[in-house]
Amino acid sequence: MRLVVDLNKCQGYAQCAFLAPDVFAMHGEESLVYNPHAPEEQRERLARAVAACPVQAITADGLDGTGEQGTGSAQEAHDAR
Amino acid sequence: MTQASLFRQITDFANRANPYPLYAELRKTPVLHEEEDGPYVISSYWDIEALLHDPRISSDAANLAAAGTDALAQAEETGGLPPSFIRLDPPEHDRLRRIANQGFGPPHRPRRIENMRGELGPIVNGLFDGLADKRQFDLVDEFAYPFPVTVICRLLGVPRDDEPKFRAWVDPLVASLDPDTRENPDADFVKAAQEARMQLGMYLAGLVEERAKEPREDLLSDLVNSEGPDGSMTMMEVLSTAVLLLIAGHETTVNLITNGMLTLLRHPEVLERLRGDPGLSVRIVEELLRYEPPVQIVPQRTCIADIEVRGVTIPKGARIWLMLAAGNRDPERFTDPERFDPDRGDIQHLGFGSGIHSCFGAPLARLETQIALSELARRLENPRLVEDPPPYRPNAVLRGPRHLEIAFDGLR
Ligand code: HEM
Repeated sequence: MRLVVDLNKCQGYAQCAFLAPDVFAMHGEESLVYNPHAPEEQRERLARAVAACPVQAITADGLDGTGEQGTGSAQEAHDAR
Repeated sequence: MTQASLFRQITDFANRANPYPLYAELRKTPVLHEEEDGPYVISSYWDIEALLHDPRISSDAANLAAAGTDALAQAEETGGLPPSFIRLDPPEHDRLRRIANQGFGPPHRPRRIENMRGELGPIVNGLFDGLADKRQFDLVDEFAYPFPVTVICRLLGVPRDDEPKFRAWVDPLVASLDPDTRENPDADFVKAAQEARMQLGMYLAGLVEERAKEPREDLLSDLVNSEGPDGSMTMMEVLSTAVLLLIAGHETTVNLITNGMLTLLRHPEVLERLRGDPGLSVRIVEELLRYEPPVQIVPQRTCIADIEVRGVTIPKGARIWLMLAAGNRDPERFTDPERFDPDRGDIQHLGFGSGIHSCFGAPLARLETQIALSELARRLENPRLVEDPPPYRPNAVLRGPRHLEIAFDGLR
C-alpha cells in the first residue's frame, strides 16, 4: 500500500508512530520517518494512523472507506517535543 | 429580572444534558465577556485553534492565581505538590512532557501502547463476565469506569486493588476542576482538595520509592529513573506527573466510552454497522471526539499580554475559556455540524485540544475507546437505553453521564 505524508502539514504530534510503529517512526524528538510502501498486513494499523492524525497529513492509497479522503495524520509529534 | 448570563447558563447543571443549543447561542458572540471579573469565552473553531497555539496565552497556574479571580488557583499555588505540566508553560512544560514521554511513546518507547492492545481484550472480557446473568446494567459503574482505571493502573504500575483508596482522593480533585466550585469554593472544600492532592502524592511516593530501588516494566519506573538531555525529574516532579496521569487516565476516557455508547444507542443504524465492522470504531471515535467531547472546555488559561480577537481587546491578566465543544460544532468549520456522522472525512476536531498541551494520552484513549465500543456492539444483544437523557455528573468541563442504564437480552 502506498502512502505519503505531507511534511509541510506534519507538526510532529507522533500519533502515527504510536498507532503504526512498523510504518512510522520518530527520528529524534521531532522528525518523522516512514515507509512509503507499507506491507499489506499493516492495513488496519495504517487506517488507525490516518484517522488519528490531528492535522490530516497522511494520505494512503487503497484503504477501504477512508481511501477516498485518505487523510489521516502523522500528528502529535509535539508529544515528543 | 434579567435572564441569567449565557456563561451562567452553561455552568448551570440544569443544562448539562444538552448544552449544544447554548453553544450555538454563544457562537453568535464569538468573544463573550459578560461579567467584570469573569472569563472571556471563545467559541469559534478558528479562534480556539489559533489561541491554543498562541504563546501569549498561558497555562501557568501562577498566572491564573495572579489574576486573582480564581480562589482555588491561589490556594493551589501555596499548597503541597508543584503544578504538573498541564499547568505550566515552556520551557518547564516541554522539559517535563519530554521526560514523561520517554516512558510512554516514540522515539524511546514506540511500542508501549501498541503492546497493551493484547492486554485490553481480556480486561474487557472480564467485565462482560460480570454481566452474564444480567438483563440490565449501569454502563458507567460496571464497564466504562473500571476499564480505563484498570488500564492506567497497569500502565503506571499502581495496584488495581488500591482503587477504592485513591478514588477517595481523586473525587475531590476532579470536583475542584468544576468551574462552579472554583468560583465560590468554601474553605472546607479548598482544604479538602489540597489535602486530597497531598494524600494521593504521598501514596504514590511509596510506590515510586520502590521503583527507584527496583525498576519494573511500568511508567512509574521510567519516570523516576529517567535520564537524557533533559536530565531527570525531581521526586516532587515525578509525583505531580504521576497524579496528573492517574487522574487524566481515569476521568476522561470513562466519559468518551459512555458518551459514545449513548450516541450509538441514539443512532442504532451506526451501532448495527459497527457490529458487523469493528474497524468502523476508528472513525466513530474521531467523530465522537468532535460531536460529544469529554473535555468540553479548556478553562484555565490566562492572557499574558493584551491580545486582540475579532476586534475585541482581551487585556493582559484576563482569564480565557476555550469552548472546545462549541468549536467542534462551528458551521464555519464543519458541514452539517449538529449531525453525528462517522463517515465525514473532514474531522480535525478539538477533542484532544491542540498545540503544545494537546492530549498526551490520546493514543491510549483512542485504543481503549475503539476496543470498548466495538466489543459493546458485538457482545450485547439488543441493547436499549432505559432512560434518555441519563443523569449527568455535575462537572461542566469534564462532562458525561453519571449513570447509563442499558437493558439487553443477553450476551453474544
Ligand atoms: C478520551 C479521553 C481523553 C480526552 C478527551 C482528553 C482530552 C485532553 C485535552 C482536551 C487536553 C488539553 C488540555 C489543555 O489544553 O489544557 C488534554 C491534555 C492532557 N491529557 Fe488528555 N484526554 C483524554 C485521555 C487522556 C489519558 C488516557 C491520559 C493519560 C494517559 C491523558 C493525559 C493528558 C495529559 C498528561 C495532558 C496534559 C498535556 C500537556 O499539558 O502537555 N489524557 N487531554
